Amino acid sequence: MSKNSRITMLNLGSIMKNSHVHYIIFGLVLCLFPMMTSAGGMKNSTLSTLAFVLIFSIVALGLNLLLGYSGLISLGTAGFMGLGSYIAAYVQDDLGLGFWVAVLLAIAIPTLIGLLVGIISLRVSGIYLAIATLCIAEILAKTFEQAEWFTHGTAGKQSKYPTIFGMPMDRSSMFVVCAIVLVLVMMLTYNIVNGQLGRALHAMRSSEVAAQAMGVNVLKYKLFAFSVATLYAGLAGGLYLFFLRSSYPSTWNLFLSLNLIAMVVVGGLRSILGTVAGAFVIFAFPELVLKKLPVIGDASGLPYVFSGVMIILVIMFFPQGLKGLADLGVTTIKTVFSRKKVTS
Amino acid sequence: MTTRNEQILPLEGTETLAASDILAVENLSISFGGLKALDDLSFAIRDREIFGLIGPNGAGKTTVFNCITQFYKPDQGTVLFGVESERLHRHRAHKVSVGSTDEPQDTEVVNLVGRKVHSIIKLGLVRTFQNVEVIPELSLIDNVLLGGHVDFRATILEQMFRLPRARREEKQYRAQALEVLEFLKIDHLKDELASGQPYGVLKKLEMARTLMANPRLIILDEPAAGLNDSETEDLAQTIREIRDRYHCAILLVEHDMRLVMGVCERICAISFGRFLALGTPEEIQENPDVQEAYLGEQESDQEGAQK
Ligand SMILES: Nc1ncnc2c1ncn2[C@@H]1O[C@H](COP(=O)(O)OP(=O)(O)OP(=O)(O)O)[C@@H](O)[C@H]1O
Ligand SMILES: [Mg+2]
Repeated sequence: MSKNSRITMLNLGSIMKNSHVHYIIFGLVLCLFPMMTSAGGMKNSTLSTLAFVLIFSIVALGLNLLLGYSGLISLGTAGFMGLGSYIAAYVQDDLGLGFWVAVLLAIAIPTLIGLLVGIISLRVSGIYLAIATLCIAEILAKTFEQAEWFTHGTAGKQSKYPTIFGMPMDRSSMFVVCAIVLVLVMMLTYNIVNGQLGRALHAMRSSEVAAQAMGVNVLKYKLFAFSVATLYAGLAGGLYLFFLRSSYPSTWNLFLSLNLIAMVVVGGLRSILGTVAGAFVIFAFPELVLKKLPVIGDASGLPYVFSGVMIILVIMFFPQGLKGLADLGVTTIKTVFSRKKVTS
Repeated sequence: MTTRNEQILPLEGTETLAASDILAVENLSISFGGLKALDDLSFAIRDREIFGLIGPNGAGKTTVFNCITQFYKPDQGTVLFGVESERLHRHRAHKVSVGSTDEPQDTEVVNLVGRKVHSIIKLGLVRTFQNVEVIPELSLIDNVLLGGHVDFRATILEQMFRLPRARREEKQYRAQALEVLEFLKIDHLKDELASGQPYGVLKKLEMARTLMANPRLIILDEPAAGLNDSETEDLAQTIREIRDRYHCAILLVEHDMRLVMGVCERICAISFGRFLALGTPEEIQENPDVQEAYLGEQESDQEGAQK
């Protein structure tokens, strides 16, 4: 092998180990689905289900930052996501300010409100924080029902596909937009958790006294984690609206918040790819598989029962979630192979 | 106590610290409920000194540490600490503009009481805990990097987007953390998770973390607890090496009397939160009050064993 080609091989090797590259490859694979759909290889409804998996993955990543890395709980995630969806619709359709302003405000306003809520409620922790965030979500839910000028009340807010860079969007192109945003969010989350920010969050969760002794301003980092989580929720809410083109108050309830927690727990606390896998299992599995089963497929509460059972199974048998399961698989394969090498 | 003929520097406000001292605890008192855990306790530590704080179980040693590092707010008393002006200005310039236009002095004296817990390390004072407090989910080197937290200048946004300053700092401090791990001879474990490491390694890891902060004073709460004999001997050597290499003072609480007497230059003994004696190891060993305090403890231990 020439020296040159060996160097490129080395570079390639280190590039393939880079997590950002993994996420980009993952995104490229996702972009195959719309193509499959237009070629008739996948149903439109399946593509929609997968789009919602991507959107919920974004929120769940924020929740993982909160729950997994920072050890904080929020039962208000759905409320902030709903807020993002209504703002996106209001700004794009009622104010006519276009996609970019709509997305920007769908991110900024929930984040600001989240910051305010955080300043007030992050002095308490554990069960009190859960109750405080639940209250906020209830206030938001009531607002969604009552503020007709903004949300169109229980009748639901209707919207349309946005125009991005002069291109009118449709189902397939919105799917690609969701995939791009998810990959960017995964990269950003990776940067957060794998640097000094992440170390500070880890310390805050694991030993608050050590964190403080090392100079970590605990309140500041709690606020940071909480803001990022609401930012992701607002962003995902906006994407949800642009993909579905409608938003109803009944969507943004406690069950959604709990389901989002289920995605994080099932996927694996403190795992980025695991969170996406968790979102798939919790959201897509009931839609794509369970609902097609005979007899039980028609039961109305089936997805909730499924989430509940999954959480219990994971907590009892696989506290590390799908990520732990995958790690176990990899180590097993490695030991099997290394044993083969030894014997041969 | 010996009276020392030392020059007293006029410093910030009315607070003064003898020129050779780095930390002075003055008239410290704190009570929990009805219990007076510390009662009018005073002592001072010289710069670059290895200083021991001893006393029977429950004497209030950890409480002293908590009052110094502001985990507890003392009911009464002051904790004076000498900070290099350069360090003070570095951290001030980062946050608030410096109000006074005074000539910068070599050392400024600050009262730690009332300061925020997380601001103490910025002054060059860093501690370990009686029950090791490391982060099990982080690798050893990441645990050590936590000790450099206040030195990171890159803003949250710079770190989120891995902008050049964030990348440069990460690289620079990672190299520094590796040096610290090498110094404590646990660098071969740098990428291992802290969880599951033996106690001896965790104790070293906690010390490594303090060194990352370029401290002027390190406070060690029972560094030998849980270590075997050879590890304890190793520790005595390490403590001396830390002082010589990092030019810092070390304040340690320890029950292992061989370690304390072997490594400390001066020792302060307390009992029931009150000052008993201060002096060289020999002076402390011969002090009748100290002997009585420990004798009392042994007797009650025996009584407890007989029951
Ligand atoms: N947060 C607290 N609340 C109530 N009492 C406390 C608290 N912290 C310490 N104390 C009490 O203060 C006294 C001194 O405790 P401290 O932990 O300082 O002792 P110590 O000298 O470190 O003992 P040991 O050698 O066992 O570590 C004890 O009686 C203890 O119960
Ligand atoms: Mg103690």
